[in-house]
Amino acid sequence: MASACAWSVALVGLEGRIVEVEADIGAGLPRTVLVGLPDSALYQARDRCKAAVSNSGQEWPISLLTINLSPATLPKAGSHYDIAIVAAILAAQRVFPAEELRRTVLLGELGLDGRLRPVRGILPATLAAQQAGFTRVIVPLRQAGEAELVDGIEVFGIGSVTQLVAFLRGLPMPVVEPIDVVGEPAGKYANRRLDLADVVGQVEAKWACEVAAAGRHHMLFHGPPGVGKTMLAERVPGLLPDLDVHDALEVSAVHSLAGFNLADQLITRPPYSDPHHSASVASLVGGGQRMAKPGAISCAHKGVLFLDEAPEFQPVVLEALRTPLECGMITLGRSEVHARFPARFQLILAANPCPCGQAATPGGHCQCSPVVVRRYAEKISGPIRDRIDINQAFLPLRKAYLKAALQRAESSAVVAERVQEARDRQRRRLAGSGWQTNGEVSGSYLRRHLPLPDGLQVVDEAVDRGRLSARGVDKVWRLAWTIADLAGHDVPGRDEVAIALAMRRGEQPGAVRLEVVGP
Amino acid sequence: MAATESKKQIGIRGEDLACAELERQGMQVLERNWRCRLGEIDIVAAETGPTGLTLVFCEVKCRSGLGFGHPLEAITYEKMRTLRQLAAVWMREHRRKASSIRLDAIGVVLAPGQEPSVTHVRGVG
Repeated sequence: MASACAWSVALVGLEGRIVEVEADIGAGLPRTVLVGLPDSALYQARDRCKAAVSNSGQEWPISLLTINLSPATLPKAGSHYDIAIVAAILAAQRVFPAEELRRTVLLGELGLDGRLRPVRGILPATLAAQQAGFTRVIVPLRQAGEAELVDGIEVFGIGSVTQLVAFLRGLPMPVVEPIDVVGEPAGKYANRRLDLADVVGQVEAKWACEVAAAGRHHMLFHGPPGVGKTMLAERVPGLLPDLDVHDALEVSAVHSLAGFNLADQLITRPPYSDPHHSASVASLVGGGQRMAKPGAISCAHKGVLFLDEAPEFQPVVLEALRTPLECGMITLGRSEVHARFPARFQLILAANPCPCGQAATPGGHCQCSPVVVRRYAEKISGPIRDRIDINQAFLPLRKAYLKAALQRAESSAVVAERVQEARDRQRRRLAGSGWQTNGEVSGSYLRRHLPLPDGLQVVDEAVDRGRLSARGVDKVWRLAWTIADLAGHDVPGRDEVAIALAMRRGEQPGAVRLEVVGP
Repeated sequence: MAATESKKQIGIRGEDLACAELERQGMQVLERNWRCRLGEIDIVAAETGPTGLTLVFCEVKCRSGLGFGHPLEAITYEKMRTLRQLAAVWMREHRRKASSIRLDAIGVVLAPGQEPSVTHVRGVG
């Protein structure tokens, strides 16, 4: 009898695909059929939409109503198709001209009273609509600000079905109390403004953090409890430069999909994520049956992922980090689709040396047997350790040092300035390569396109003795470049390589310098 | 009048209106409220078309308002399945032959103070 269509977006990972919602009002007993691989939340859209339409003063067709979501092979999940379904049905009934829905994407869940509820993933969905050539997107009123972060597409915020009808008919919109966005505010970390000066002593570890921040290197902190491992890790994001526009959009899109409230702003500061050690694999790398949600590693994309008490994590959870650490993204395979999320995070692990925390600590009395100590250390496996650039030992502070250190602690702002300078040098050097920092550059690019540092025999020796893997050589190399960038040298020399090797192997930089680089 | 009408009276009036609608469309009503052990057929009608005689078995649902939804919404899959079985019994008992049979549904709304509305859906079962 009559049919019409509207458009919405299916999110597969961060990637959005356009979904056509067709409504057909045909002959038959009154029944509503929803076809096109909907999941259970989407199947319930039938009942939500029916109530919403009836409560908005519109009529639900008394005949056989078929709603088709195409492409039918793509599994669709979530509740954000509601408004597109209702729009298609109303257009099929000629409540407003069906042409009004052309080049328009509709997103939003409906309440039974006909009001539009905010949904997650508005930002990536709007991006997808814009890239697919749509000119207009209609979103829940309170999320219009989030959709407006995307350039090149017209955004309309709508509070209810009655407002939608009035809007598409070109009539003045009735007043509706909009439903507020729920969800934890994104970028909460950035507002904490933690200062490096709060951490007493640990000058070496602070410098390691500076190097890590400058080149985006992964770190492992180990030492007894209470020496400032967690405090320092929390302060690393504060040393990182602001995100550029491209990164900010990507990071914000991930957070939007994860259900954070962007509050109409792009996330411009590097994010920080510190999941508890009871975390599951799915919560860390992302998961979900049909509409996969990004996990902690994706929420730390372009920022810092801090795993405190790393040996307490389940081994399977830690091992799940191997691939994302290498390729900077995570692909979650499901029966029908593969969801891909970016995960280029900077990893910081913190660990105690043993269950009691006192092993190998000067002045500490460890009560663990050697086997227990070894087992505890083994919980962070070789492959994970091999992906760590900087092994940083923390030593307990002495009283005199504590007093002295209190007076001349450097603030985050000063360090961040040096980091920014080092980043600028890297960006100039790596221009056109697609990378921005030393930590991300591939080994082959390092060897082929950048001048060889001096003092490589130190590294060769370590390889010969079996103390450094092939990956380790690249790691030392990258680290040497970052140290040179911080020092303002054009090419790393013997000193930088030696320091890098020592940092990688977790030795005291000072001691190694005397031993290897000395006259 | 309508407000004091009993359920049964509403049903009868609805079926009257349904018969009128079928006759308006050129069908001939053969029987009303035919009962057997399995249940009841509201209307049996005959329609002569280009392909021959079609027997139409019709389920009628009548309501005095839309407060509980449209009457057609109350005609369930179960009811239509019963109607199909009843049709077979009816044809056996009456020894009637037809080139085809069809199951129809008619919803009648008798809202007080308003013109009755009759909705006829052909071939639902």
